[in-house]
Amino acid sequence: MANYYDIQDILMQDETVSTVFLHKANGAGFLDPSSEDNNVARGSVVDLPLWLAQDLVQRQILHIKLPSCFNARHEQCRPNLPLILENVLRVRKEVQADPACVDLHSKCPFYYEMGCKLVELSVDPTLGPFLLTTLQGRYKDLLCKALTATLSGNLKFLPHLTEEETRLFEAGRDSVKAFKKWRLQGPRIEKAAILGRKRNRDATPIWS
Amino acid sequence: MAGQGPSEPALFTELEVEFMAEDEPVNIIPNVRMDTLHMICGDYGPFRPQIPITVPLWLGIAMKKRSKCRIQPPGWMSVERLTEVLEMEREAPREFQPLPFHYVEIAKLLLDNAREDFENNYMVQSLLEDIKDVRWDKVEKGLKTLSGRTHAVKLKNLSAMEVNRMRTFTVRALQSFFKHDNDDMMKQTPTDSDSQSTPTSSDRLPRVCSQDFFTRSFDFTFYLCM
Repeated sequence: MANYYDIQDILMQDETVSTVFLHKANGAGFLDPSSEDNNVARGSVVDLPLWLAQDLVQRQILHIKLPSCFNARHEQCRPNLPLILENVLRVRKEVQADPACVDLHSKCPFYYEMGCKLVELSVDPTLGPFLLTTLQGRYKDLLCKALTATLSGNLKFLPHLTEEETRLFEAGRDSVKAFKKWRLQGPRIEKAAILGRKRNRDATPIWS
Repeated sequence: MAGQGPSEPALFTELEVEFMAEDEPVNIIPNVRMDTLHMICGDYGPFRPQIPITVPLWLGIAMKKRSKCRIQPPGWMSVERLTEVLEMEREAPREFQPLPFHYVEIAKLLLDNAREDFENNYMVQSLLEDIKDVRWDKVEKGLKTLSGRTHAVKLKNLSAMEVNRMRTFTVRALQSFFKHDNDDMMKQTPTDSDSQSTPTSSDRLPRVCSQDFFTRSFDFTFYLCM
């Protein structure tokens, strides 16, 4: 409840996770587009938004499969999906190789927040330490870039950052920018924007 | 003050920090005769020509702009003192030398408005720039060492403007690290799926294991020992 009104938190909870139903759910067929009757069968895999999934996990109705962007070893992966398995293994390996270079935004914009939620739901015990390593690996690079970013500089890496990292980057960049602006500023009393505007007068005089 | 949302750390703009610095005292030598000024913040004066007097920086600058006084450069803004400080800053890679808390702002205001009152104004300015760069470099190095388990940063003798410049970034970084590096995140529990085959009635209750994690508040304190 701590960040009930936090828009970022709300957006994050809208991300979908893939879940496995542990029980048959009568009348919940609208959740599963592939169900033929109005029920969700036991063991069927359904994509649900995180806000719904976490409540249902607490009631032990379903089980969350770790999203591919966090995964290393995917036990539930069926052998007939070798491509996905390969993809899944790649993400954590990529991050382990060099966290700073991975485009996490395209994998999940709310990577850390979602990771934290999944840790709370104890989806995977190795996830917490993994998130910290990722953050530590990306932090130093982010620091250098944030503090040396110029006003119109090259911001190629910006789309690779997750939401949390983007806010961190902007905080650093903006304060450095504001400081530079203050140092180079001229007179402190400035003309209000409204005074510079030309008056919008009617061309024809009133008395004609 | 900009940005005071619940998730946004309070932030002063540079102009606000400068405004606070203007309350610092400065010595002036008036060249006019003037009675005591009665202000809300106190009485200043009487002013007699060629008799030095201490006034707040804002008053000194206002009088200087009207050519009613000369500003005496503060002791720490002499070339000798600044050279000494610069050398000591370079020698001690982890410490900051004691300078006035508002030294960046005072130096800027004085050099902008009373440049001719300094004997070596170019020298003073370049020394101040060097000092500022050396100190900022130390701040950056310090920030690089942040990682998990950093709960507070002790920065002795850091000045107001330097704190302000690093505040948002540092607070956010510490918050992120704190969020990811605590016992709740680090615990290695077996996955729920193992114990879910025979759920008992107590297992069916909603779990509130995360409550403690969210309600525990934590203050990141900057120790500013002046």
